[in-house]
Amino acid sequence: MLKTWKLKEIVLMSLFGVVFGIVYLLAVHLGNIWAAAIGPIAYEWMFGIWFIVSIISMHIIRKPGAAVLPETLAAIIEVMLGNAAGPRLILSGVIQGLGAEAAFALTGYKRFNLAIFMLAGAGSAVFSFVYGYFVSGYAALDPSFVALMFTLRVLSGMIIAGIGGKYLADSLLATGSLRGYAIARAKKGDAGA
Amino acid sequence: MQDLLHEMNPSIKFVLVTGSMLTLAFFFDPWTPAIFWLAIVLMQLFLSRVNWKLWCLMMLPFTLGSFGYLWTTLVFGADDTSEILWTFAGISVTEEQWKHALSLSFRVMALSTLSLLFALTTDPVKFVMSLMQQLKLPPKLAYSVMVSYQFLPVLKDEFIQIQQAQRLRGVLVEKHWWQRLLNLRRLLLPMLAGAVRKAERAAFAMEARGFTGAARTEFFRPVTVTRTDLFMAILFSSVLVGSCAAGIVLSN
Repeated sequence: MLKTWKLKEIVLMSLFGVVFGIVYLLAVHLGNIWAAAIGPIAYEWMFGIWFIVSIISMHIIRKPGAAVLPETLAAIIEVMLGNAAGPRLILSGVIQGLGAEAAFALTGYKRFNLAIFMLAGAGSAVFSFVYGYFVSGYAALDPSFVALMFTLRVLSGMIIAGIGGKYLADSLLATGSLRGYAIARAKKGDAGA
Repeated sequence: MQDLLHEMNPSIKFVLVTGSMLTLAFFFDPWTPAIFWLAIVLMQLFLSRVNWKLWCLMMLPFTLGSFGYLWTTLVFGADDTSEILWTFAGISVTEEQWKHALSLSFRVMALSTLSLLFALTTDPVKFVMSLMQQLKLPPKLAYSVMVSYQFLPVLKDEFIQIQQAQRLRGVLVEKHWWQRLLNLRRLLLPMLAGAVRKAERAAFAMEARGFTGAARTEFFRPVTVTRTDLFMAILFSSVLVGSCAAGIVLSN
């Protein structure tokens, strides 16, 4: 998978992993505060935050693996920084990344527009929910409550990760620091080169 | 004795911890996670030099979270027909629901303790090195992660610098704590732009020094698998199997 990647793309992706590892960790602490008060549903509406690096990185690099790898790395960095959620976080990172990756793979890594990014956010949400259903034991909850959690998570994935991720990568492009990456080439009109 | 968890091979520890977590997901009785949780705390107590003050501090949010799980499961738990234990404010709690709720809360406790066991006894650099040597993580990826990890303190300095620069120019209005929190979003973009430039420079530097990313057979600091790891693997598995068995026996 990494054969077609340039080293600078790999380092960029890792660095995004680090930056968003920190962002994710902050989000976990924020979520924990009211999770104590309103239970696990507190995380649902903000779940999109934890999917965002997949979309940003894929938008910029546009190569197979650009969604699943940074998400995994962000999780590894979170663990290395000492997130008490620990190694299982890496597994959920891989699964969330695969969800987004699946959406991009569906289009053959050729189309990169808002609809696809929102689909990728939703993909992460669905994958992570299936995993969460299994590991956190949502089966013990009332089906209608589970449905509410699921809807909130998918919406959050589409809005925060999909729209937010595209917005962030586009603003980053505007700063001019992304020259030499696929996103800048696509702007010029020779996409896929 | 107190060094055992610290000296363990990080990859093996990682596999054991992740395996135990996935196994726990199959159990819905309160006993299995409770016993496993106790066993893990004991293991940390005897086999590691954990800073317990830090441990308690990090467990605090998860303890609160497990209370969240407890009452959510009680209030929103799936309906069933088992005996009603008690009723409070119009919510009746059945025996089945009570068991599920306890089980989920203990599971949160067990998983977070297990995670702390990993996080507090593992050296990050050794973990990545071991991932590369034992679990065959591609060197290109492993060294890129290491480079990025070394950037952490730099990024922290940069964060403060950008924040102060924006304050100097009067970009930020920070009268209340929530404004301070909201202003974080203005910092993200400059940070990312800086990160992109740093990544490019680091990659050029790596290539200039002859890094090709080819797989290696020899390492400057080899991370090995020793007899300690075998012992710990047996200990971990017996604790896991033991608590699962005890859980099944006690819940019947």
